[in-house]
Amino acid sequence: MASHQIISYDKGVAVKILQWIGPVFLAFYLVWSLLPLFIMLVSSIKDLLDAFSLPAPGDWAGVTVFFDFSPTFTHYVALFTENNFGAYLINSLVASIGSALIAVTLGSMCAYSLSRSTFRGKKDLLFFIISTRMAPIVAVIVPLYAIFRSFDLVGTLPGLILAFTTFNLPFAIWMLKGFFDGVPYAIEEAAQVDGQNRFQAFLTILPLVAPGIGAFVILCILFAWNDFLFATIIGSGGAKTLPAATKELVQPQNIDWGKIMAAGVVTTLPMIPLGLLVRRYLVAGLTMGAVKE
Amino acid sequence: MVAVAFNKVWKNYADGTVAVKELDLRIEDGTFVSLLGPSGCGKSTSLRMLAGLEHISAGEIVFGDKVVNNLPPKDRDIAMVFENYALYPHKTVFDNMANPLRQAKVAAAEIKRRVTDAARLLEIDHLLQRRPWELSGGQKQRTAIGRAIVRQPQVFLFDEPIAHLDAKLRARMRSELKHLQLQLGVTTIYVTHDQLEALTMADLIAVMNDGVLQQFGTPREIYENPANSWVATFVGEPQMSLLEMTVRDTSGKPALIFGEHTINLDPENAARVAAAGRKDLLVGVRPDRATVSLRETPDSIKGEVYARQLLGADVLVEVETGRGRVRAKADIAFQGKVDAPCSLSFRSEDLYFFDAADGTAIPRLQ
Repeated sequence: MASHQIISYDKGVAVKILQWIGPVFLAFYLVWSLLPLFIMLVSSIKDLLDAFSLPAPGDWAGVTVFFDFSPTFTHYVALFTENNFGAYLINSLVASIGSALIAVTLGSMCAYSLSRSTFRGKKDLLFFIISTRMAPIVAVIVPLYAIFRSFDLVGTLPGLILAFTTFNLPFAIWMLKGFFDGVPYAIEEAAQVDGQNRFQAFLTILPLVAPGIGAFVILCILFAWNDFLFATIIGSGGAKTLPAATKELVQPQNIDWGKIMAAGVVTTLPMIPLGLLVRRYLVAGLTMGAVKE
Repeated sequence: MVAVAFNKVWKNYADGTVAVKELDLRIEDGTFVSLLGPSGCGKSTSLRMLAGLEHISAGEIVFGDKVVNNLPPKDRDIAMVFENYALYPHKTVFDNMANPLRQAKVAAAEIKRRVTDAARLLEIDHLLQRRPWELSGGQKQRTAIGRAIVRQPQVFLFDEPIAHLDAKLRARMRSELKHLQLQLGVTTIYVTHDQLEALTMADLIAVMNDGVLQQFGTPREIYENPANSWVATFVGEPQMSLLEMTVRDTSGKPALIFGEHTINLDPENAARVAAAGRKDLLVGVRPDRATVSLRETPDSIKGEVYARQLLGADVLVEVETGRGRVRAKADIAFQGKVDAPCSLSFRSEDLYFFDAADGTAIPRLQ
């Protein structure tokens, strides 16, 4: 068996400089990506006065002023009592999980049949499916709104789920087709010889594409959870989700920063454990099939 | 357990290739039949049509007295072992083997008993909780066979099941599979490209080439009486050598002319060749029936050593006669080096005769 040791040779000056630049870059990158989250978190538990007390420019010792506050959860409490965020949280959950489940159910069956069957125009059909994702959402949102309107779907959760599914399904089909392509046909044939019908054979190989399905469900939930355009236009009114509701905290006469920060935390928090929990799953899912074993 | 028949079965693919041409084959109940041929000869396609995994373009496949053309695999009561084993990667050995029984709604206790019995027979009973990736090739193959034998199917189908095993294991599995089939007595169809596997295991061999059945007979018939020159060269290792010779009538007795040599025929073969009345023949000689020597003998054919391969106990010497090369097995003591002049001889009783035009065997006289 071949080993995968990284062989190190004598290094030149350029390499040594690069070795120093790496960590420095990473340090900046860390600050760049974590600072906004940190500010959001800290501001959400400060009252408005504390949130806006900033040190004078150049006064590095004054940084401590950021941490000089007494924590308060008034913004969170207000979000859920005054602004009805409990309902929006549920809307977000229902819309994102619902559309992910529908997309993965329909998508896996469609991907399976596209992977296993051959027919004239299959490539064109595949291209057509993915082409629906090529136009940006803004380009189709107006006609889509008109259609949804005439079906009385605007401002309803089923409408929002349908809108998300419309955009997630092509993605599901493409992604999962790749996974099904990687499953040897012989396994289903064995299942059929064992006494299963075609659909049972499909269910038998489903665990083999589980990493793909897992990865897809997560990406799908993330898309729907973070989506703003559909949420404000299709979902506004009866099916408001967290991002759309957060936007409404910005009012002409008053921008409620405390609540906005708290809403940001409420929106971000559930996705962090999800991301951490499924990180390995996602990586396995996206790279599976990349290398033939 | 049932007899299986192909009645004028064709397989055409959409791109115009014809994989199987008018296959007619009747496999008696309980026999072990091997479909033998090079890759792409249509043997696997035939097996897959039998399994119901491939659509039958024309003709019919009959199990017993039932036409199965339109039955899906699950209703044909077959068990199949695939070339790449096709185990369920996410299931344990036990669950892999139990799957056909679970589909048949067999009670859990009975499943456990039958899987354990089969596993013991195949000597994999200590592996039942492992998953396929933790198994060696031989163990995977046994699991696949186990999955086939837990249920008593009507027909066993084997699609090159031991092609990927190493030589030693293959030899062992050959005798084990044969033993197992005798024990279970199930009609078995075994696809292979390895003529040794077919010769050693099968009751009957169906040799296929280019989608056409060439010959169907016992291993001995196939080896001793090949239907045509293609079968003759495909079956037998090392390969039979074929030489173009012409027939000349010398004083009422036909003899073979090979360059400047004249080969006299024994009475039986002389009558056979005379009866066929062909002028140009392909004459086959198996390496173990040809003798190569450094000394010149009166009736021998002169040539030079072209190559020599050590086979272990013997040496395979390839002799260039100037009109084709002939393989001959010689004793390990044979001294001839490459390019050394040598002479080649054989008994006319050991020769095979084919029509030079179409390769069909010259029929034996009864």
